[in-house]
Amino acid sequence: MHKYFKQMDSLGKKLNDNFKTRTSDNVGDVEKAEAEITAAKEKIKQFGLPAEKINSRGELTVWQRIEILVDKGTWHPLHTLYNPAENDDCTTNVVDGLARINGRWAVVIGFDNKYLAGAWVAGQPENILRVTDLAKRLNVPLIWVVNCSGAKLPEQEKFYAGRRGSGTTFYRHAELEQMGIPILAGIYGTNPAGGGYQAISPTVLFAHKNCNMAVGGAGIVSGMSPKGFFDKASALELIDAAKKNQSKPPGAVDVHADETGFFRFVFEQEEDLLMAMREYMTKLPAYDLDFFRVDEPKAPVYPAEDLYNLVPMNPKRTYVFEDILARLTDGSEHMEFRPGYGPEVYTGLVKIDGLLFGCIGNRQGLLPKGYPEYADYPGIGGKLYRQGMIKMNEFVTLCGRDRLPIIWFQDTSGIDVGNIAEKAELLGIGQSLVYSIQQTDVPMMLVTLRKGSAAAHYLLGGPTANRHNAFTLGTAATEIYVMHGETAAVATYTRRVIKDNKEDKPLEPTIEKMNDLVEKYYETSRPMFCAKTGLIDEIVSLGELRGYLEAFAAAVYQNPKSICPHHHMVLPRIIKG
Amino acid sequence: MSKEIATPMAGKVVSILVNEGDTIQEDDEILLLEAMKMETTVYATDGGKVKKINIKSGDRIEEDDIVMILE
Repeated sequence: MHKYFKQMDSLGKKLNDNFKTRTSDNVGDVEKAEAEITAAKEKIKQFGLPAEKINSRGELTVWQRIEILVDKGTWHPLHTLYNPAENDDCTTNVVDGLARINGRWAVVIGFDNKYLAGAWVAGQPENILRVTDLAKRLNVPLIWVVNCSGAKLPEQEKFYAGRRGSGTTFYRHAELEQMGIPILAGIYGTNPAGGGYQAISPTVLFAHKNCNMAVGGAGIVSGMSPKGFFDKASALELIDAAKKNQSKPPGAVDVHADETGFFRFVFEQEEDLLMAMREYMTKLPAYDLDFFRVDEPKAPVYPAEDLYNLVPMNPKRTYVFEDILARLTDGSEHMEFRPGYGPEVYTGLVKIDGLLFGCIGNRQGLLPKGYPEYADYPGIGGKLYRQGMIKMNEFVTLCGRDRLPIIWFQDTSGIDVGNIAEKAELLGIGQSLVYSIQQTDVPMMLVTLRKGSAAAHYLLGGPTANRHNAFTLGTAATEIYVMHGETAAVATYTRRVIKDNKEDKPLEPTIEKMNDLVEKYYETSRPMFCAKTGLIDEIVSLGELRGYLEAFAAAVYQNPKSICPHHHMVLPRIIKG
Repeated sequence: MSKEIATPMAGKVVSILVNEGDTIQEDDEILLLEAMKMETTVYATDGGKVKKINIKSGDRIEEDDIVMILE
C-alpha cells in the first residue's frame, strides 16, 4: 500500500509576501487574544496555596507531581478553564490532560492539593466524567494522582448526589475496568470518605507512606453523635476526640498495606512513587505505533506560524481551508475524497505522525457557479448544502469501515435554509449524517477553528456525538452560538417592532433590547466562555494545534479496539479509483 | 492585448488588493467582496499588468462586472 500512502498529493501553498503583509494585523489580533487566554490559564494554575507553602510541608503540588510523572514535552492539558458551576473561589479543583508516561499515552488527572487539600467541589464531577469518557473513547489507561480531602462540606448539595454527581466516578472506574482499561492511582495525603473511594476505586494503588484512605475521616469519627445542636461542652468533647483521632487518622498505610493489602506499593518519597508509576506503565498493553503507521512521520512542509496569517479573527473573512490543513499534516500531503462534489466541505485522508486519519472541514468563500445545484442562488462556504452532507455521510461511513479515526475542523454558519433547501431534503440528510456518525465506532476529535453555529454544529463531529468525540479544541477565534446575535435579535423582536410601529409606539425600547441581545450573544460565545462552560475542552494556541493532533493520533492508535489491515482498506482505493 | 477580469459574484467592494501598474499573476488575490454576510476574496482569473481598475471601495457590483483590465 506504499503507493497510496507514501506519496500523497500536495496540499496548500506557500504564503506570499503580499498576503503576509495584508494579514499582519490578524497575526497581532490572534497573538493578543492568545496572550489573554494564556494569562487566564496561568491564573488558574497559580490558584490556591503557593507551591512554596505546600513544599514546606514536605509535599509536592499536583503540578509538580504531574511534571515528574509524564514524559517531558508531552503534557497536553484539557479543561483548564472549565468551571461549569461558576465557582467563585476555584474552578473544578482537578487538573487533567493527555500525556505520555514512559512511552505510553494515558489520560492523566489529579486533585489540586493547593486548594482545600484537593476537595470535591461543584462542577468537578462533570470534569471527571469527561476524563473517564476520554479514557473510554481512546481506550488508554487512566492515571490518577489522588489527594482528595473529600467533599467541600458547606457546598455538598451542589455535587454530592445525583445521576452525574461525585459518586458517579466510582461506577465509571468500574466500567473502565470492565472494558479492560486499567486505572493506576498514586495516592497522597488524607483521603477520607469520597476521597477514600477516589483512592480505592482504581485498579492498582501506589501509596505514599503518609497517605491514608478511609470510609470516614478523623473529622467524622470524632463527631459521630451530635446532640442535635452544639454547645460549649460538646465543643470541648469534640476537641478532645479530634486530638486523639487526628494523631492517627483511620486507614493509614499500616492498615491498607499491612492488613488489607489494598495498597499494592508503598513509597517513602513522593518522587519514588511517581517513578514507580512510570515504570509500571510498561506493563500495560500498547502497540508500537509502527504497527499502524502507513509512512514515516514527517513534519508539515509549511510552518505552523503561517496559521496566524491564515485563520482570520474576523468572522466575516474567508480563507482557504487546505492552506490551514497543510500546516498541520505530515508532509502537507493528503488524498482528497470526491473532490468537486459537495465543494463546501473538504473530506480526505491525511497523516499525523505517520498514522492515517480521515479529515473533514468546512471550506470558506464563494462556491463554484451552479452550486448548490438545487437552487438559483449562489453557495457560500461555511454553510452546508445537499452534496456536502451526502459526501460526509459517505466518508464517515467508509472511515468507520476502514477503522480510521476522524479529525473534524469546524467553521460553520449552518445549513442552507428555506423551502428550496427543504425540498432538497437537507433536514433529512443532516440527520442521516448523525445516523452515519453514530453507526461508526471510531474515535473523533474536533477543532472548532472559528464558528460553531446552528444545527451544523451538531453534525460536524462535535461533543454532541457523545460516544465518538474524544475532545473538542477551540482557538482564539472560536465562537459558538445557535445563530449570530444579530440574527437572534431579528428572530426575537421583528414581530414586536412591526407591532409597535403599527401602533405608533416608540421603537427605541425594543431596539435597545435587540442591541442587548446582540451584546449577550457576543459575550456568551467567546472562547473563554466556551471553555468555562465546557462547549470546548480546551482553547489552544494555533502553534499548539499540531501537538494536540499528534497526541490524539498516538493515543487512538496505542490500543485500538479493532483493526483494519492497510491492504483491506477500501477508502484509499475509492479515492484512487 | 487587453484582458478583462470579471467578478464571479455580486457584492459590496470592501477593499481592492492591487493598484494600477501592479503586475499580477493568475490566482493572486485582487478584491475583497462582502456578500451573504461574508467577506470573500476574489482571485485573478488571468495574469498581467493592471492597466485600469473600474471600481472603488464601497461600490456595489454585480456578477460578471468587469472590475479591472490587464495588459
